Amino acid sequence: MTVFNTPAIYVLSILFSLFFVLFVLSLVRRRRLREQYSIMWIVLGVVIVIVSVKSDWLVELATWLDVVYAPSLLFLIALLFCFAYLLHLTVVISKLSDRVVKLTQELAIYQHREREAALKKEGALHE
Amino acid sequence: MNETPKVLVIIPAYNEEGSIAHVIQRIQSVSDDIDVVVINDGSRDATVEVARAAGATAVIDLPFNLGIGGAMQTGYLYAHKNDYDIALQIDADGQHDPFDIPKVIEPILRGEVNFTVGSRWVEKTAYKSSAARRVGMVIFSRLIKWVTGQVCKDPTSGFRAADKRVIEMFANYYPVDYPEVEVLVHISRRGLKFREIAVEMSERQAGSSSITPIKSIYYMVKVGLAVLISATRKEGAL
Repeated sequence: MTVFNTPAIYVLSILFSLFFVLFVLSLVRRRRLREQYSIMWIVLGVVIVIVSVKSDWLVELATWLDVVYAPSLLFLIALLFCFAYLLHLTVVISKLSDRVVKLTQELAIYQHREREAALKKEGALHE
Repeated sequence: MNETPKVLVIIPAYNEEGSIAHVIQRIQSVSDDIDVVVINDGSRDATVEVARAAGATAVIDLPFNLGIGGAMQTGYLYAHKNDYDIALQIDADGQHDPFDIPKVIEPILRGEVNFTVGSRWVEKTAYKSSAARRVGMVIFSRLIKWVTGQVCKDPTSGFRAADKRVIEMFANYYPVDYPEVEVLVHISRRGLKFREIAVEMSERQAGSSSITPIKSIYYMVKVGLAVLISATRKEGAL
C-alpha cells in the first residue's frame, strides 16, 4: 500500500502523526517538555506513524487477536495507553505535592528563625 | 525523661483571629514552662499578628494553605528541630481546655504511653455533637479497635500529646487532609502505645469548622481507605 493510492484519511493520519512527533520535539527544544517525559510521546508518535503507513499490520494483528473490526483494536490500545499514562502522571503529581509541602514547611520554619534573629539584633542595637 | 521536660503546644490556625489570643493566654496561665507555637496555615485574616501580640513563643507563617495535616506536621517538625520532649496539639478555636494539659501529658511523663488523645467520651462531659458526627466517631472507633486492637472512643479529637519518638515520626511523616484517625493507626503499627484521657470540650468560640457536610462523605471514604491501607502496609513503608 503506497501513500498515493490510499484514501484521504490515511494521508491525514500520516500527516497528523508526523506533525505530532515534530511538535513534541519542538517542545523539548524550547524546554517546555522534559526529555524524560518526551521519550514516551516520541515513541507514541512513531507508533502512530507506523500504524498509519502500514495499516495492514494493524489488520493482521486484529485478525490474529480475533478482533473483527481492526480500528477498534487501535482504540483499545490507545485507551489503555491513556490510562497507563494518566496513572503515571498522578503518581508524579503525588510525589511533587509531597515535596512542595516539605519545602513549604522547611521554608516557613527558616523564615521564622530569620525573623527571630533579626529582632534579636535590633534589640541588641537599641540597648 | 529529664527533670524538667521541654513541652511545646502546637496550635494550627486557619483564620482564627477571633479565638487564638484567648487560647494562647489560657495555655500560658497553666504554666510558664510551656512553649506555644502557632502554625498559621495561610490565613487571610490577622491570625499572625494577633498570635504574636498574644505572646506566642513562635509564630510560623506558612506562605499558603497546606491543610490541617501539613500545618500539624510543620509544628512537629519545629518540635523535632528544637528538641522538645513533649508536643501537644490544641485546636485554635477554643474547644479544648488548656487546664487539661497536665492531665493529658501525665501518662507520657510517667513513660506509660507514647501518645495520648484527649477524649470527650471516656467520661460523661458537657459536650454535645451532631448525630452524623457521632455516627462517624462510632464507625471510626470500631475501625481503630479492629485494626490496632487499642480502644479509642474519640478518634477524631484534635487534643493530643506526643512523646519524643512520636514527634520524630510525625516530623518525617504525617498524613494529609483529615489526619486524626490515621495517625492512631500509624502509631500502633510502629509498636507505640496510645491512651485516651477524659477532657472537657466546649463548642467552638469563633470561626468555623473545616468539616462541612459535603466534605464529610469524602472524609469517611478517604480516612476509611487510608486506615485499611496503612494496616496492610509493611513496617518499613510507614
